[in-house]
Amino acid sequence: MDKQQRIKEWQEKTARSMNRFPERKERFHTSSDIEVERLYGTEEEHYPMEFLGLPGEYPYTRGSQSTMYRARFWTMRQYAGFGSAEETNKRFRYLLDQGQTGLSVAFDLPTQIGYDSDHSMSRGEVGKVGVAIDSIEDMEALLKDIPLDKVSTSMTINAPASVLLAMYIAVAEKQGVATEKLSGTIQNDILKEYIARGTYIFPPKPSMRLITDIFGYCQENVPKWNTISISGYHIREAGANAAQELAFTIANGLAYVDAAIEAGLNIDDFAPRLAFFFNAHNQFFEEVAKFRAARRMWAKLMKEHYGAKNPKSWQLRFHTQTGGSTLTAQQPDNNIVRVTTQALSAVLGGTQSLHTNSRDEALALPTEDSARIALRTQQILAHETGVADTVDPLAGSYYVEHLTDELERKANEYIEKINVMGGAVAAVEQGYMQREIHHTSYETQKKIESGQEIIVGMNKFTIENEPQPELLRVDPTLGEKQKEKLQALKAKRDQNRVSAQLESLRAAAKGKDNLMPIIVECVKSYCTIGEICGVLREEFGEYTGV
Amino acid sequence: MKKTIRVLIAKPGLDGHDRGALVVSQALRDYGMEVIYTGLRQAPEQIAAAAVQEDVDAIGLSCLSGAHNELFPEVMRLLHEKGADDIIVVGGGVIPWEDIPFLESKGIQKVFTPGTPTIETAKFIEQAVYKRDGITENVFSGVAPERIDHIGIAVKSLDEALPFYVNVLGLTLEAIEEVPSQKVKVAFIKIGETRLELLEALTAESPVAQFIEKRGQGVHHVALGVTNIQDRIDEMKSNGIKMIHDAAVPGAGGASVAFMHPSSTHKVLFELCEKTKSKEEAK
Repeated sequence: MDKQQRIKEWQEKTARSMNRFPERKERFHTSSDIEVERLYGTEEEHYPMEFLGLPGEYPYTRGSQSTMYRARFWTMRQYAGFGSAEETNKRFRYLLDQGQTGLSVAFDLPTQIGYDSDHSMSRGEVGKVGVAIDSIEDMEALLKDIPLDKVSTSMTINAPASVLLAMYIAVAEKQGVATEKLSGTIQNDILKEYIARGTYIFPPKPSMRLITDIFGYCQENVPKWNTISISGYHIREAGANAAQELAFTIANGLAYVDAAIEAGLNIDDFAPRLAFFFNAHNQFFEEVAKFRAARRMWAKLMKEHYGAKNPKSWQLRFHTQTGGSTLTAQQPDNNIVRVTTQALSAVLGGTQSLHTNSRDEALALPTEDSARIALRTQQILAHETGVADTVDPLAGSYYVEHLTDELERKANEYIEKINVMGGAVAAVEQGYMQREIHHTSYETQKKIESGQEIIVGMNKFTIENEPQPELLRVDPTLGEKQKEKLQALKAKRDQNRVSAQLESLRAAAKGKDNLMPIIVECVKSYCTIGEICGVLREEFGEYTGV
Repeated sequence: MKKTIRVLIAKPGLDGHDRGALVVSQALRDYGMEVIYTGLRQAPEQIAAAAVQEDVDAIGLSCLSGAHNELFPEVMRLLHEKGADDIIVVGGGVIPWEDIPFLESKGIQKVFTPGTPTIETAKFIEQAVYKRDGITENVFSGVAPERIDHIGIAVKSLDEALPFYVNVLGLTLEAIEEVPSQKVKVAFIKIGETRLELLEALTAESPVAQFIEKRGQGVHHVALGVTNIQDRIDEMKSNGIKMIHDAAVPGAGGASVAFMHPSSTHKVLFELCEKTKSKEEAK
């Protein structure tokens, strides 16, 4: 019996048995509304090597390196930071002792928005969602006794990324570490701030200049630094589906490439330092497919559209974090299981580094216990399951390859639309991505409320009288302490030098020169982040939303 | 007329997580409220000023940064200062359970934590506003229907369908009659205090024929038993319900009936149906 005949008979048999045992749903689909068939592999589908490539080879569908985790596991990089620089420094050293291999700094919101701790908008926020940094003094305390030539550091900082990077560079110099040896990442992705995350300061145009200034400066001075982490993570958290996350992230990436080329940079000089950051959400196979599609899309765009010659320019390297918005406040221990499957999808998708969320993040900042379980989850995946022992193990799965193709197709449709609007910057200014995301997020909410989508422990399998777990509290007096520290600094620093540096920053902001060198001089003179961003606010104006 | 509740959804503090605020805003709008959303990074002073200026009934504060203990009470203090204590204030976001009693002691009426269905938030605000305004009888001032008078079921052929009801289910066929106004032949089957009304089209233009053409046989309408049908029709219209019949028409069994338009009733075809007293008693 030939294959087609056999499949036909199977289909008829299945149809008969479905009369008696109907399927759970009339229609199965992924988060991106890709139709999910009963069975894949019944048609003659081929995924030839020229199409998928081999690991470490164009178009990198199968991974950005040839040996992947057989050589070295992904970097286990837990995002942490709260309270004062001293407290966060302790947590960092604890995590490094526990076997974490890279640092990831969370800054508090005043720092992220360029306000000092004593600004009126900072009340209640100092040290809450991350560490409070006002000046280079705080940065020194944060990095005390951490060998900056050995540890790579990721900093989630966007609008004032230049200032924090300048502080990091200045502290490294004080520690006697050459800037060429520094490795790490700044997020520095302003477009997704306008779209989804909300910690913007300046309007798009000067923001893009700050970003390309960093590209140019690091190319010369901090060559191992990842100058941007183009982030789909927050776009997904804001409610986008997998295809939207993929599309809007890549579209933003193209906007940065265009801006850098326009600023006179050569693609093969800056593109190898671009990094990406994705979300690992619940729908397992779709997520694996998303990571694989992202690599392939970026490689094609860099090589074919931009004509990049250096293979490193083609490679999309990415960090992944498990989906914070998938965590439930109800039965929080269930979140450990969600995080595990999400993390597994990132590993099978070939991530370069990974943050696993803590079970209690829908309730408060994670406790030390919860943070440890989250890290252990990664260590168990790495050391016990064997999933890291071969490269791209899901390749060739009819279903996963189909989803990879479909996500690429859907994302390309969005990117085409965005191109017609004039690119990602124009689309953001028109509120296009924001509207698309809100639409998807509201539809998801309705499906959850109607029970069409099940969230275990929240709208099904609920329990009465949830136990109330212990939560982490940030020192409530921290805001005052930080203000005192800031006043003491202002009293002892050389005020004339501060004023002079701020004035030269103002002059540079009016012109076209790269702002990074002067910002480095500002932080070395103990100018605060609020003062530096204050001058730039006056020169550039502030973004106020669509 | 139903009072339109005005709500200010506000994001105090610096966090940019507005997914929840946007979803709740839209859900409250869909519920029929007027919603003003402030946008991100609003100082308590801005929120209190906007609430007074926009003359809102309620404020929803959303904060995911952990600054709620400082910022929510500050909003309450400023509202008090402006003499706007009567505004109902609720909160949401990532708020640890142990902070909720403190926030409630500061006048926040309710804190909705992650996973709360939006309808629960909408209901809470509505009830709180009605309570404040002394609107006791909810929104409803008319007379509610008294019973399900009958359920109408469209069939292709009475002859084919009746044996199921009579021989299989064992119900009693009460009567068969023609209703010229609807171009239908009707069989009444008694079940407890209510009836099933099987409808067979007499002509191709009959509404029942059109129904079967479009959707096939099946449940066609639900008849609500009322008294003083014309008053009920007027009440429905004053509540913005579209009526197929603005005045009662003669229905089967000597009843006076009027249909409501499904576009106003979430896609269910409802009939208001009044039977004369003598007829009811005769049965």
